[in-house]
Amino acid sequence: MIKSRLTRDIMAMRVAKELVNKSYVNLGIGIPTLVSDFVSSPRSIIFQSENGLLNYGPLANHLNPDVDLVNAGGQFLENVPGMSFFSSDEAFAMIRGGHIDVSVMGAMQVSEKGDLANWMLPKRGVGNIGGAMDLAVGAKQVIVAMEHTDKENNPKLVTTCSFPLTGKDCVHLVITDLAVIEVTSRGLLVKELAPDWTLQDVQDLTEPCLIPSADLKPLEL
Amino acid sequence: MKERLTRELMALRAACELKSGQVVNLGFGIPTLVSNYITDCMDITLHSENGLLGFGPEPDGEIFEADLVNAAGVPVTLFPGGVAISQIDAFGIVRSGKLDISILGAMQVSEAGDLSNWLLPSKGVGSPGGAIDIAHGTKKLVVLMEHTDNQGSPKILKNCSYPVTACGKVSLIITDVAVIEVKDKRLVLRETAPGWSPVEIQEITEPQLVIPKNVLQMDFAREPVVSPSKIFQNVDHALSDIFDGAVILMDGFGGLGGMSHFLMVSLREQGAMDLTLVSNTAGIARVSSFGRPPSSGLQAIDHSILIESGQVKRVIASFPVSPSPSRPSAFEKALRDRKVDLELVPQGTLAERLRAGAFGIGAFFTPTGIGTIVEYGKESRIIENKEFILEKALVGDFAFIRAHKSDTKGNLIYKGTSRNFNSIMAQAATITIAEVDEIVESGELDPDEIVTPGVFVDRIVVRPKHFSPFVPINELTDD
Repeated sequence: MIKSRLTRDIMAMRVAKELVNKSYVNLGIGIPTLVSDFVSSPRSIIFQSENGLLNYGPLANHLNPDVDLVNAGGQFLENVPGMSFFSSDEAFAMIRGGHIDVSVMGAMQVSEKGDLANWMLPKRGVGNIGGAMDLAVGAKQVIVAMEHTDKENNPKLVTTCSFPLTGKDCVHLVITDLAVIEVTSRGLLVKELAPDWTLQDVQDLTEPCLIPSADLKPLEL
Repeated sequence: MKERLTRELMALRAACELKSGQVVNLGFGIPTLVSNYITDCMDITLHSENGLLGFGPEPDGEIFEADLVNAAGVPVTLFPGGVAISQIDAFGIVRSGKLDISILGAMQVSEAGDLSNWLLPSKGVGSPGGAIDIAHGTKKLVVLMEHTDNQGSPKILKNCSYPVTACGKVSLIITDVAVIEVKDKRLVLRETAPGWSPVEIQEITEPQLVIPKNVLQMDFAREPVVSPSKIFQNVDHALSDIFDGAVILMDGFGGLGGMSHFLMVSLREQGAMDLTLVSNTAGIARVSSFGRPPSSGLQAIDHSILIESGQVKRVIASFPVSPSPSRPSAFEKALRDRKVDLELVPQGTLAERLRAGAFGIGAFFTPTGIGTIVEYGKESRIIENKEFILEKALVGDFAFIRAHKSDTKGNLIYKGTSRNFNSIMAQAATITIAEVDEIVESGELDPDEIVTPGVFVDRIVVRPKHFSPFVPINELTDD
């Protein structure tokens, strides 16, 4: 029997649960973008986008959006009260200066030490760093939201990243479609498991040794 | 005793040094009086290091606005197009060479052009304030002071005995008896006050003066005022001096908004080759849905047009290629064919390198990129137990800046998220060319809303009403 994995929406929902009200949060491209749909009440989190935008609202849902109102992923946004606009140097002053509480990013690989690789597939020979390296060193907490394995079912949680790094020792929490895993000084600590998945099932798809948390439990949303 | 020039005449003589279009800083004391001899039509932009550009005289009557004072705390007025700026911008202008001339008072000036004006040793403590930054950063430093101190002792000395503000920076000394040029560590007497002979001036000056044959009597005449307009009706003229090998700071984050498409298309017509583009992307709008309105079967013009015309040899970017490997951009293809080079820079480092360049800072230490390919070949250092790498400043020969509105002085405002790299790139180039929707008279923009002060903007071009930043998707060279 093939066990079902968490959907992208459920993963985003689980990430949203980590966000504390009134915190400043930057969402990367991909699954992280979905997180804003699942925060407890609208505008309870202050989202920052590194193209120079704070406190934005939902994605625009009409045919002729404002070309001067986009997030860092190039998606159009609704015009909502309370936004502020600023320049790229200020956006990264916020990020590098420690004013962003949480950065949620996708990843290609995460190592057991918390190293992050998410900007280049070596076989392509070129990639986009964008704001990822600054976010990796600057955000107070880095949460990675990603599938547990790649398309060929190889582990993305690895002993040492083989892809070029975005940041060293920077990931705090990994939320995959199988588990919630904290990066600790002892190694990867499994806190929650997706329904029907056992620790051994997840270990089979993970390169480094996993440590079960004392209160290991099913996924909580 | 011989009559010396009054403080007012000294200020008038100093005002004769100013040329139309210049950005000018005036120090405390006699230099402050120079502003009384600047008229609106001279087109001088007065800079004050507390964050003012383009201010005018003290307000008439008793109307006093506490939020509009100069660096000496004196209430002032704003000329139309004047703007209040931050401390960072105020000194950025100074350090980056945008300040044309600074007129400061002095306690002592040496033969070599050293300036002492911040500490009387007998007082034990002093206030350098902005003087050290200004004396180092200004293109031309003029000292305006009495020729001798209260005891009649010379203030122009072989060597300053007081702590110096800057070494070898003074190029002209205007006193109440003479005008003296500092040239190759010698003092050349250029003008004398009415009734004063060169010999009499030498008697109250410590170092030996060079006295040419043609020492003039002080002249208070001013150059006629001609100030070229920043507005270019013809875009070709605005781009005509872009040379082969130029470094161009190109605005925009990646999508449709905030990109100077009209200048981009015009640069392709202009034809300069071997260009280096500094930009967040290397043209991804055509190969991704980034910033594309869903309604249109249209795609934004991007950097690809300059890549395809073979004009670009190097790109410095943070997000150079399409998010999707299956849709390579013109740049990615050119990179694969080794027709262009790439310097990949983290986005925040790119913004900060531009900021450093804009503000006359040589390099800075950042934690971004530690343990990644970004740190190869760079100096690293532990500061307060944290590891940093050294990143150098970045400047351009030209900047293309899409903005919403400009006034005739070049003050810019932006729209929404289209400010991103634009406002910092506008400050980091030798020649900044703005592409705007509309130009209004100076004074029409609220000074508190101006993002880029006009001192950073050299040329303004209006994007024509009929210009379309789109090309239909099926017309693109998509193989």
